[in-house]
Amino acid sequence: MPSVCFYFQVHQPIRMRRFSIFEDNRGDPYKLYFNEKLNREVFEKVARKCYLPTNSIMLDLIHKFDGRFRISYSITGVFLDQCQEFNPKVLDSFEDLAKTGCVDFLDETYYHSLCSMFADKTEFKEQVALHTKALRSFFKCKPVVFRNTEALFTNEIAKLVEDMGYKGMVMEGFERILGWRSSNYLYSVKGCSSIKTFLRNYRLSDDVAYRFSARWWSEYPLTSEKYAAWLSRCEGPLVNIFMDYETFGEHQWEDTGIFEFLKKMPEEILKYENLDFKTPSELVALDPVGEIDVPTPLSWADIERDASAWLGNEMQRTCFRMLEGLEPMVRDAKDDKLIRIWRLLQNSDQLYYLCTKSWADGDVHKYFSPFDTPYDGFINFMNILQDLKNMLKNKVKLQEGKR
Amino acid sequence: MLGWEFPPFKSGGLGVHCYELTRAFASKGVEVDFYMPRTEFEMKGTTPKLIQVMPVYFGPYTAREAYGVDFMGRVMQYNMHCAEQVAKNHREKHYDLIHNHDWLTAKAGILAKQKIHRPHVMTVHSTEYDRSSLGPNQQILAIESEGVHAADRVITVSHMMKRQLTDKFGADCSRIRVVYNGVDPDKFKKKWDVKKYSKEKVVLFLGRMAEQKGPVQFLQAARKVLSVMKNVRFVMAGGGDMLPYLINYSIELGISDRVTFLGYIPESQLQDAYAKSDVYVLPSVSEPFGITALEAMSSGTPIILSKTSGVSEITTHCLKVDFWDVDKMAEYIIALLRYRVLNHTMGKYEVEDARRFSWGKAADETLKVYEELV
Repeated sequence: MPSVCFYFQVHQPIRMRRFSIFEDNRGDPYKLYFNEKLNREVFEKVARKCYLPTNSIMLDLIHKFDGRFRISYSITGVFLDQCQEFNPKVLDSFEDLAKTGCVDFLDETYYHSLCSMFADKTEFKEQVALHTKALRSFFKCKPVVFRNTEALFTNEIAKLVEDMGYKGMVMEGFERILGWRSSNYLYSVKGCSSIKTFLRNYRLSDDVAYRFSARWWSEYPLTSEKYAAWLSRCEGPLVNIFMDYETFGEHQWEDTGIFEFLKKMPEEILKYENLDFKTPSELVALDPVGEIDVPTPLSWADIERDASAWLGNEMQRTCFRMLEGLEPMVRDAKDDKLIRIWRLLQNSDQLYYLCTKSWADGDVHKYFSPFDTPYDGFINFMNILQDLKNMLKNKVKLQEGKR
Repeated sequence: MLGWEFPPFKSGGLGVHCYELTRAFASKGVEVDFYMPRTEFEMKGTTPKLIQVMPVYFGPYTAREAYGVDFMGRVMQYNMHCAEQVAKNHREKHYDLIHNHDWLTAKAGILAKQKIHRPHVMTVHSTEYDRSSLGPNQQILAIESEGVHAADRVITVSHMMKRQLTDKFGADCSRIRVVYNGVDPDKFKKKWDVKKYSKEKVVLFLGRMAEQKGPVQFLQAARKVLSVMKNVRFVMAGGGDMLPYLINYSIELGISDRVTFLGYIPESQLQDAYAKSDVYVLPSVSEPFGITALEAMSSGTPIILSKTSGVSEITTHCLKVDFWDVDKMAEYIIALLRYRVLNHTMGKYEVEDARRFSWGKAADETLKVYEELV
């Protein structure tokens, strides 16, 4: 009997500002590098359209089904920061959900970063620790399942995560890795001893996340009844439905009927005797049925499901290598403000904006980007990185002078 | 087809357009007689068949106000002769359609239509508003307006141009079709195949030295760039009325040792000019299309385009600026010179992108316009 395992990714990047090398670039670098006005506007808009209404629906559903409707979230640290800065009501509503006991949380990097790909893993461990601390203080929980930024996964990262004490990790249930096998089971990972993977059932997930309002889709319109029927026909012990939380009200606008769909769904699903809801923490006890091997990066983005959305072209790799190369200087500078800026720049979205893939996926990149072109994005990113590097250099020099 | 210039006798996009379009037509089995002013050389056995009507002694942009030359009179005479020739040749050729380019041959198009009763298509490559800096010539405006209203179909080289015709001339939007210019991508040497002998970085401007082309903004951006970077050369290729002024202006800005004025460069040097440059800037205040941008793209040279250019409607792999935003222009130039990976990535994608704009496609779209009428 399959358990339906819902996990929602909650994240908003802190976007960069258009930074000019000709303006007076002294002063608070945070204000110079990041577009506070835009970040506030986007956050407020999405809070109004998605976070607040969806959280309220989730809370009602949890109360209505008295513990039988269960969900899980992964919320980035930068999102929690923005809650506190821009709209504490959003944070309150997540805390209310946490208090029900029917909501599970996953751990990830605080800054939604790709630092798991750095050669030196210190930064990765620190960012995860920061996230764990934030979850403990806001939601009083200690996650046992990990989700890496954009579900980025390799055997090596899984081993690292296992060594940090996690029992499970999220990944994309993609044929390239699975072959004939089903995503509706837990698997162990090559080279690891105990960690188990939760594989996203991307068809059933994307039926809601991408195709819900697609008129070209033969199954349009998707109803809760139909969706529940599909779930009930699944084999295996669990079905992992993972998606961006912004699906509700932001990617799929209210007038598509997404909220009505959500409100009716638990009831329709629970009509089937073979279906129930469980969270990753509950399901991680299941036995793995086989081993998966992921030698090269796998993610949940674009049609390639690799790291090419962030590291696909030379411009992206240049920025990434520069970010990585700054680490020793950032640490030497011993300035909390600069460390935070460096980490905010690690946000994978900053690299996503530089993507030049021009087929269908390119449209998605364009939709989310604050820049006209990837070239524009690269220039801005590099100018900021150069500026940060100069600042760090001066700082380190100054400290050496003092000594 | 009624034209004015034709390679190798040309001074702008109009000549390139006529040449490439008629060549593409020939390969599609469309027969074209191309009427143009008489030149010093008799050209025979060419495709299309060139019919040289009478000498005019000057180009559309040069020597317009020259002493002793009755420019307008000469143009009108040419138009009348043209129309007569068309009528005469029609008796045995039985033309299906008359197609004229710009105001220079608009009258001939109108007159020929009256004589042989065949549909008339007019392509507008630019208007007097785009060409004149001090104020448009009213006579020319009147001819342009007459042509645009009389023609059965008007083809413009961009949507920007189309808007201009509806806004300024009150043209009927339903009769206007947009056909973008093209480029022959394989004609141009690739940047990475050309050896450069100097370590100096090169930023190129290529166009007529006239206010609308934005040479002043180019020099202002150059000064900004030079305030933070050394070892950059700004090359300005092209002739025009403003040349003396611009030379003085570069001295005034204190950057004359970093700016090279090449004057008009012949076709044979064009390829090297693009391929040996690190950045191509099209800073036009007003540019109906801007074929040079496609040519630079085909060479793999990164381009910075003013948003007030027709070509910027269709290119994606480029950087776009407002022509007055000299700071941003300078910033883009610096970035393209400093960040090799940016320069290379853009260049690589541009070469691909340029393939979308072939003359074959332009010819097909022009034929579609013909088919609406015959």
